[in-house]
Amino acid sequence: MKQNRRRVIGTLAGAAGATMLPSTRDASAQSVPNLADQAYTRLDAAEKPVRGGILRLATSLYIGNMNPNRWPVNDWVSLSYFHEKFVLNDGAYRPTVPYLAESLVRDNPKSIVMTLRPGIQFQDGTPLTAEGVKAVFEWIRKPDNAAWTIGTLADLDTIEVIGPLKLRFNLKSPWASFEGMLSGATGYALSAAALQQDPKRFESTAPVGLGPYIVEEASPGNFLKLKRNPNWWLAKALGRPDMPYFDGMLISVIPDPAIRLASFRAGKLDILSLEKTQFASLYNDKNYTVQILPANHAAAYRFNSAKGPCTDIRVRKAISHAIDRKALIDGTQFGLARVASGLYPSDHWAHNPALKTVEFNPTMSRELLAQAGLDKGLTIRGYVLNTPEAIQVAEAVKNMLSQVGINWQFDALAPVAAAARRTAGDYDMATGGWVFILDPDLAMSGLYHPNGNFSQGRAPDPELVKAIDAARNESSIDKRQGLYQALEKRVADEYLDAWLWWDLSATAYQKWVRGTNPDNFLKYKESWWFTHPLWFADGKPG
Amino acid sequence: MLQFLFQRIMHASIVLCIVVVVSFAAVQMMPGDALLAAIEATGEATDSRGLEAVRKLYGQDGSAWQQFWRWLGKFVQGDWGLSMGSGQAVSDMFLQRAPVTLELFFGGLLWALAIGVPVGMICAFRRGSALDTWLSSGSLLGIALPPTFEALALIYLFAVIFKILPPAGYVPFHQDPWGNIQSMLMPTFVIGSHLAGVLARYVRSSLLDNLRQDFIRTARSKGLSEAQILLRHAVKPSMIPIVTVLGFAFGGMLAGAFIIEVIFALPGIGRMAVNAIFEKDFPVIQAVLVVTAINVLVVNFLVDIAYAVLDPRIRIR
Repeated sequence: MKQNRRRVIGTLAGAAGATMLPSTRDASAQSVPNLADQAYTRLDAAEKPVRGGILRLATSLYIGNMNPNRWPVNDWVSLSYFHEKFVLNDGAYRPTVPYLAESLVRDNPKSIVMTLRPGIQFQDGTPLTAEGVKAVFEWIRKPDNAAWTIGTLADLDTIEVIGPLKLRFNLKSPWASFEGMLSGATGYALSAAALQQDPKRFESTAPVGLGPYIVEEASPGNFLKLKRNPNWWLAKALGRPDMPYFDGMLISVIPDPAIRLASFRAGKLDILSLEKTQFASLYNDKNYTVQILPANHAAAYRFNSAKGPCTDIRVRKAISHAIDRKALIDGTQFGLARVASGLYPSDHWAHNPALKTVEFNPTMSRELLAQAGLDKGLTIRGYVLNTPEAIQVAEAVKNMLSQVGINWQFDALAPVAAAARRTAGDYDMATGGWVFILDPDLAMSGLYHPNGNFSQGRAPDPELVKAIDAARNESSIDKRQGLYQALEKRVADEYLDAWLWWDLSATAYQKWVRGTNPDNFLKYKESWWFTHPLWFADGKPG
Repeated sequence: MLQFLFQRIMHASIVLCIVVVVSFAAVQMMPGDALLAAIEATGEATDSRGLEAVRKLYGQDGSAWQQFWRWLGKFVQGDWGLSMGSGQAVSDMFLQRAPVTLELFFGGLLWALAIGVPVGMICAFRRGSALDTWLSSGSLLGIALPPTFEALALIYLFAVIFKILPPAGYVPFHQDPWGNIQSMLMPTFVIGSHLAGVLARYVRSSLLDNLRQDFIRTARSKGLSEAQILLRHAVKPSMIPIVTVLGFAFGGMLAGAFIIEVIFALPGIGRMAVNAIFEKDFPVIQAVLVVTAINVLVVNFLVDIAYAVLDPRIRIR
């Protein structure tokens, strides 16, 4: 183990001139990181991975576009097998793990210098260079290319190439979530040569990235076939040339969850992401390994604080206290969720640990309604999504609310119709929450800032807007943490939403799949999962 | 005959124009912003510039009229736009998915003809016998059994228990002929068994009708055997309702194929169409409606011609 670590550190540290310094405002404050602390350098010498075999997976939707900057990408997990990011998120969803970017240094509030790792080659043989990175960013910024990520670069002014592997980003204004951008959809390194040569081919059949696998065959709506990338840079850097261990992957599109489960039980799939309804049937089955891991989704009902009965905080509070979240999780989520106390999951760096979950207290609810002059009860309107699960949860909540005299009349709508109702502010209480919470600004601004795409039905609150703007412009990650914790508390204290739960996800593995490590996944999340490939016990399935 | 053809083509053109306009209006009237809803579902909210870039890419910018004329102009030139659900060219999606749906339909048709026609003939020939009762009951079962249940039961039996067939997925014939047959065996059977039940009922009643006709009595009086009467004189006029049933089946191919394509994970047009409706994937919905309308119009036209070929009395009228 020690020997491995020493080799890894030797390989990586030689190229490391600086570090990720998301919290520093000037270059003089930087420090040299301990690279051995990075998740991808943690290799277990006791593990004896075996090369070979094709890993068989299934998804409900075909991947869509394979250029992450072009809408739609339906399957970001599959995308991560052939594209890699400049920065990875750590175990607290913080973009602090240097990956393709060896270092990021803020030399002043409006300038950031990124240094790339040396010796990395794309799957088409072209090197990863500063010129290439600049070309891809400029491609995204060109309106004719219709990149949906163009908005993520709104605060970027110019890009200067200051060395073969070094470039400076000049910003229009201080940009706190720059590292977050590099760890998100815009932060995937793409081969500029391949993209410029034939963007249509790049996004449909032949994407060229840096990941452990290469797209071999794309059959839209049917499957995606990947083959092993024998020149994966990380394998060389870590001195483990066998990485990745599978010869390839076959990712089939199977829309029906029951058929995915049948395929898994029939031994035709090696790994299955479980629906919550399927969890119980496999969890105690000794033929499979089932892992439960936290997901960064927050489920909630949103209140209309701009008009209707929910403008009164006592009504919002009464509704929130009338919901038995534990019972909801047990009864509708099969236990696969954590009771939520706010927007950010408890393992997210922006979460305020002082927040308490809203107590289930029907007596208090009735008292609050009486104080609001509604002791005879009230009727509220709203909508939920028309999925069986969402309707089941809504029926349960409706029943809980009826116990305190609240009649919730909800419509079950398709996502498109639900978005229309929200945009029109036509609801009192409706489906809410946020999925894939990474940089805290995205969810906070999206839900509560008047410029956010999803903030309709919120009463004007200039102080809140000011606080969101202040957090957005702060580049010190420590200060940002404090600001977002305060913001999370503020919106929770205002009962702008009834937070229900933070999700848990369950994945089932066949016994022959090795290399899964739930402890390290929990600790390091994507910076572990993206960098530690799995393998088959005997080099083949079964 | 030429006048008949001309009239039918004119009728078809008018219907097609109505379908194009009505379907466009219907999609426009659906509430909500499909792109915003889709982006919301990913958690990757983008600012208005990102959204506008995507809107322009999918032809969703400008007024409804501008969108309509732009779409129509490109559609007739073979540019059917991009799918908002997959980012693929819609025309490519059709080309990739049509063979799957056609294989599913014609495979099902083979099962239906192989089972339905003989069963119907045996029932008619042995009318009132125990065999007739059993086979007629079997036909009813084929009609009544929900395809979803039948599909799941077959998957459980042949894929999970016996492990002799793949539970789902599609293997193109040109890649692996045996794999293709294996992957299509269950889905085509589910489609075919339902159609076989319907066919058997139609063949039985149609044959019984014809066996009571004067020309059959004449044939009997000439001393022909029952088998000769059945095969030489009764079968051909009894095919008219079969042609009707098959015409309807082909016209309704997409609707019938959807459930089966979802369950067996077949990348066909039916699945694509319904996904598009749920996602308000305008370019795909519009193309599906136009292609479906053309399909129904062409099939009806061919059915009319088949009637004339099978029954000279129709031609005389």
